[in-house]
Amino acid sequence: MDGSVSASAPMAATPKPGRTDASYGAPDDAVWRWVTLSPALLMMLLLSVLPLANLFLSSFYTVSWAEGRAVWMPAGLANYAALARDDLLQAGVTNTLIFAVFAVGGQMLLGFVLALLCVRVTSGRVLYRTVFILPILIPGIVVGAMWKLLLNFDFGLVNQLVGLAGFDPVNWLGARETALASVIMVDIWHWTPFCFLLFLAGLESLPQDIYEATKIDGATIWQELIYVTLPMMLPTIVVTFAFRLILAFKVFDEVYLLTSGGPGTATEVLSFTLYQRFFREDKTGYGAAMSMSIIFLVCILLIFALSARRRAGTAP
Amino acid sequence: MRGPVTKHGLTRRDALVGVGALAAGLSGRWYPAAAASAAPITIVINQSPWFDSFRKTVELYEKQTGNKVELDVNPFAGSLEKQRNSVRASKGQYDLLIMNSGWFAEMYFGGFIEPISDIDTSFKLDPDVYTLGDTVYFDAARKIMVPTGKLMSVPIAPLIPIVYYRGDLYKEAGLKAPETFAELEANARKFHKPPGRYGIVQRGARGPASVSFDFYPYLYGFGGGIFKNQAAGDYSVTLNNEAGLTALQYYLRMAKEAGHPQTASLDQAEVIQNMATGKAVHIMAVVSAWSQMDDPDKSAVIDKVEFAPTPHAPGFSTASGLGHWLGGIARNIPDDRKRGAFEFLKWFQTRDAQIANAKFGGIPINAASYRDPISQERKFRWMKPLAESLQHAVSVYQFPEASEVIAILELGLNQAVARNVEAAPALNDMADKIHGVMTKYGYQTAKLPALR
Repeated sequence: MDGSVSASAPMAATPKPGRTDASYGAPDDAVWRWVTLSPALLMMLLLSVLPLANLFLSSFYTVSWAEGRAVWMPAGLANYAALARDDLLQAGVTNTLIFAVFAVGGQMLLGFVLALLCVRVTSGRVLYRTVFILPILIPGIVVGAMWKLLLNFDFGLVNQLVGLAGFDPVNWLGARETALASVIMVDIWHWTPFCFLLFLAGLESLPQDIYEATKIDGATIWQELIYVTLPMMLPTIVVTFAFRLILAFKVFDEVYLLTSGGPGTATEVLSFTLYQRFFREDKTGYGAAMSMSIIFLVCILLIFALSARRRAGTAP
Repeated sequence: MRGPVTKHGLTRRDALVGVGALAAGLSGRWYPAAAASAAPITIVINQSPWFDSFRKTVELYEKQTGNKVELDVNPFAGSLEKQRNSVRASKGQYDLLIMNSGWFAEMYFGGFIEPISDIDTSFKLDPDVYTLGDTVYFDAARKIMVPTGKLMSVPIAPLIPIVYYRGDLYKEAGLKAPETFAELEANARKFHKPPGRYGIVQRGARGPASVSFDFYPYLYGFGGGIFKNQAAGDYSVTLNNEAGLTALQYYLRMAKEAGHPQTASLDQAEVIQNMATGKAVHIMAVVSAWSQMDDPDKSAVIDKVEFAPTPHAPGFSTASGLGHWLGGIARNIPDDRKRGAFEFLKWFQTRDAQIANAKFGGIPINAASYRDPISQERKFRWMKPLAESLQHAVSVYQFPEASEVIAILELGLNQAVARNVEAAPALNDMADKIHGVMTKYGYQTAKLPALR
């Protein structure tokens, strides 16, 4: 269908939402639907379902190598049972939850405050937006290098500033008390601009007549924020939160580059545990079981996020 | 195996011989015909402190023989992953694998390496080449590494840690190089003036092989060990015996009382950096960092650093854990490329190649290089202590699941250094987990009663 509308087809010229395919002249039968959908379904099957199915099947085997060939031994549910006994995984789950709560919380709060401050700024928009979004444009490996240098115990800029203030240098990445907080801080620095941009776009799209009405009613800035801005921004806040929460559960590069999960398991996160078990230790079956469990966890989060989005009234 | 034939009726090898001969003729030089006939090869290798010298040695090989070598350079973990991907495919991407002591067993046991003695039955390793705990051999039937097995690889870098110490400070204080752990501790304490100068800087970070590698000289130098007797197939875990406890208590005491406050997060690069910037008085590091100590662009302690074998307790000898690199030829590549890789290894192990390697900043694998007059030069003052240490170096792992044991040690030792866990419970916990791994894979194993 080319989308052109002729004068002799008034029904097609004014299509209404929810109209059936038959209204546009296409045959309304199952065969036609399957024929048109099948390329997309096939692509989805090849790119998404097949790798997942393969991962799922692998999780029920242990794989070893002999004579240059893989030896697959059925393991039943042993790989899944072993997850419960994995100390590293338990530390990974705990730290990932802490990381997600504090990093995402910090990014949301800072991003929202910055967006509120900037939304009414009219001059120098290009400049401040460029400066603010700079961290998300920097590759993860560069972020790791930058902060590894900044937080270096002996010659890092942060400790030099701490020294100038008259305090002893802090072991940012090497002490159990500060390592996870340092990684969270780096993540907040890295991803706050993402939240800022989404919030700024949301704030700029809010209808101005409502604000004019609140001014006429004599509302304070605080009342305007609580009773007007926040309710109207709720859909954007929920979507941003969902995005960031899911991405926070996948954090890897910052931990790998800054602390390698240490000291001890202080900064162990789920992705790093998986990397350790699957790649370094070459446990294919066990790594697959761990991967499936993480995917399951992320799916739960996704369902939670979609349901929250629906409740916030943003469902399509 | 005959390679693909071109439309002119020539094989790829014939074409390469022609191109090589033409190049030789054009350049006005004549290269040995046998060497020039070798197929181009690709070596997968990691980016280590010794890589630059290896690259220069490879360039010398190319210059001398006309053969072509491509280097695929990666981080430590990336090199292993690329090697696994290549050897597990039906056709390998890489011809020569530069394998670390932590994973070469995986390659031997998995059947991924072509025995060199199968490529050229007449080839014998130069008698002066270090066999590094006989890890170049493998008896596939008995699953052990003994000289009666087949020759599987040629050493590339005989890396072991040695002590780097500030010779200028020692001279001022009238001290001699530390031989025992007691001497090392006394000297480290004497010079420990933080935050400007640390008595010793240790590699306590958790990584693929970081804190565990740093701990081996202490463990074996105190007479301890991880397993009872690997060569005899006895994998009883002995990590948590009295010697192990003494070693870990000593290691932790040094970190706490004479070491860097950030030991738990220091990896190899930071340890070397502390020495080169003059902040460390002692480090135990792989010898390959020697060239950085006298490099005006990298060092503040030029000509001030001396070298010694790692210390030992009375009644024991110096005993570093091998962190060496071996060159093995992939099984799943065409025969001409196997021959090309073999030609390189055959050349690389010679005395002359190894002297050149040393001059480029590398660590020779041929004992004759250590007897050469260059070993008397001030620049090569590390050669004597290294040659002495190599005789006592320990092959820590001789089974393919080593990475699981290393991961246990990395976490347990790092936790202990970070002072979350005391020495005895840390050792008990690690020993339990290692015993679990060895049991799971069906090795003959046992464990000691827990330390108190």
